[in-house]
Amino acid sequence: MNAAIATSVFGVFMVVTVALGLLAVRGRGSGGRGGLAEWSVGGRSLGAVFIWVLMAGEGYTSFSYLGAAGWGYNYGAPVLYVVAYMSCGYAVGYVVGPMLWAYARRHGLVGITDMVAHRFGRPWLGALVAVLATVFLLPYIQLQITGMGVVVSTISYGAISLNWAYFIAFAVTTGFVVVSGLRGSAWVSVLKDVLVIATLGFLAFYVPLHYFDGYGPFLDRLVTEKSEWLTFPGHGDSGLGQAWFITTSFLNSLTVVIFPTTVAGYLGAKNADVLRRNAMWLPAYNVLLFVPMLLGMAALFVVPGLVGAESNLALFKLVVDSLPAWAVGVIGVAAALSSIVPMAVFMLVIGTMWGRSVLSLVPRWQHRQKGAAQTVVVAAGVIALVLTYTAPNTLVRLSLISYEGMAQLLPMVLLGLMWRRLTLLGALAGLVVGVGTVCGFVFTENDPVWGVNAGIVALAANLVVALAVTYAGPREHDERPDREVLARDETGEPTLAASPTTGSEAVTVAGAGPAGV
Amino acid sequence: MLRRRPQLLWLLVPYALYLGALPFVNRVDPVVLGLPFLFVWLLGATLLTPVAVWLTRRGDRR
Repeated sequence: MNAAIATSVFGVFMVVTVALGLLAVRGRGSGGRGGLAEWSVGGRSLGAVFIWVLMAGEGYTSFSYLGAAGWGYNYGAPVLYVVAYMSCGYAVGYVVGPMLWAYARRHGLVGITDMVAHRFGRPWLGALVAVLATVFLLPYIQLQITGMGVVVSTISYGAISLNWAYFIAFAVTTGFVVVSGLRGSAWVSVLKDVLVIATLGFLAFYVPLHYFDGYGPFLDRLVTEKSEWLTFPGHGDSGLGQAWFITTSFLNSLTVVIFPTTVAGYLGAKNADVLRRNAMWLPAYNVLLFVPMLLGMAALFVVPGLVGAESNLALFKLVVDSLPAWAVGVIGVAAALSSIVPMAVFMLVIGTMWGRSVLSLVPRWQHRQKGAAQTVVVAAGVIALVLTYTAPNTLVRLSLISYEGMAQLLPMVLLGLMWRRLTLLGALAGLVVGVGTVCGFVFTENDPVWGVNAGIVALAANLVVALAVTYAGPREHDERPDREVLARDETGEPTLAASPTTGSEAVTVAGAGPAGV
Repeated sequence: MLRRRPQLLWLLVPYALYLGALPFVNRVDPVVLGLPFLFVWLLGATLLTPVAVWLTRRGDRR
């Protein structure tokens, strides 16, 4: 009975989600008029409000909803790195976001693979980066499948096994992203944000009241009984000390600004000032992240004994244990949407990268980019699904691997766009060394290494090699002037001067959305 | 870049608060409103980050 109620609530919301996605794109992407740019960057016409919810949506995934609770349960304080890197990342994004936006706008580019190909004047380099970035995104997609699978299985009170739940998660998301594109994701993101904020806000008060008679007693018990969890290095022999926290937060805060999904958010913006305003407001949203972390630690008292990847369930064990079936269903929807929206954006980004940078190299496919891109999306989903079955892991661990790999693109993308002297050979040599080092550490289970994040060790090696090869190797001959090749540091005076009006425009766009449907 | 836009230095504030100060705030006591000190500090840093970005933006708009 419980399972039936919770699953029905869940099912109804899933149908609403897909309908919303379809509504958002009707008349925009159909009939071949939309094309790849509409599907992938929403025609570059999304206003501040949409970009805000979309980027917030990517930041607040099942990784933060379930993963943060899980790591809070397992280790405690180390999970706070999520808050640290996101806040610092938004600060960096204040500078980098508008820079990348302007570069892409000026040269008609749709992602980092495009940018790299343009910067170094080599289309095949874009293809290489696309393949690498896809590989590094797979753990993140696996993360979302795992997260949503956990939710589906739990709200069915075990009637749907985890393995089937993973498959359902994969099928719903892949179907959604193929039909809806970025615009659809932005719309569903609104629904998701409302639900996530409402449910987290509710749980923040309900759980301590229900189990501990309020916050005072809950925190008292936490401080007296679980103080090991409350400072670094946290609970257990995790190796996640202060040095790990600092290096990981630093690495992730830089990586997040070139993370292909973040860049997709940047490029969807209507103007650069939208991004600056977002960089200002988004960090405030991070306050919400403390809630699942505290709830994860509350679960220590209620459902002790979850080990390893089981800790992904920490938050939902509390929910199922303490709430009626319909509420379990609603919270399940919020958590599932926090998988679907980001996963949709991830897959979309993979599709775009391949469409623009890989498939376009084959002349025969050039006019079928969108279809081919959608095929790649499904393929990436299938691989991630297989990984979910064969190499299960905690949600946070998956996210860390993804970031450590993606970080190796930093010298090539970010340094390359700002420093003309960096040669193709240097960037490439650095990338090979960096990726090799990360793989070495991760596959031999030596991460963290010497108490620090393995990705930052690899990035250091990457940077040293890139600089050494650039200075020692042959100079490059590129006839194009600097302004063609480099991203400019623009304060964006023209847009800034017009900023008093952009606020109202942004609102109009959000409001005009339904009318435009 | 920094010479033309010194206000970008404000963006280092979150790094200083979250990462630079960590060795000094990695402690449970004093407990503030029931929360261990580390959490209080990081919560404060989270609330101050938007202020730092706002200051940068104010400098840019001049």
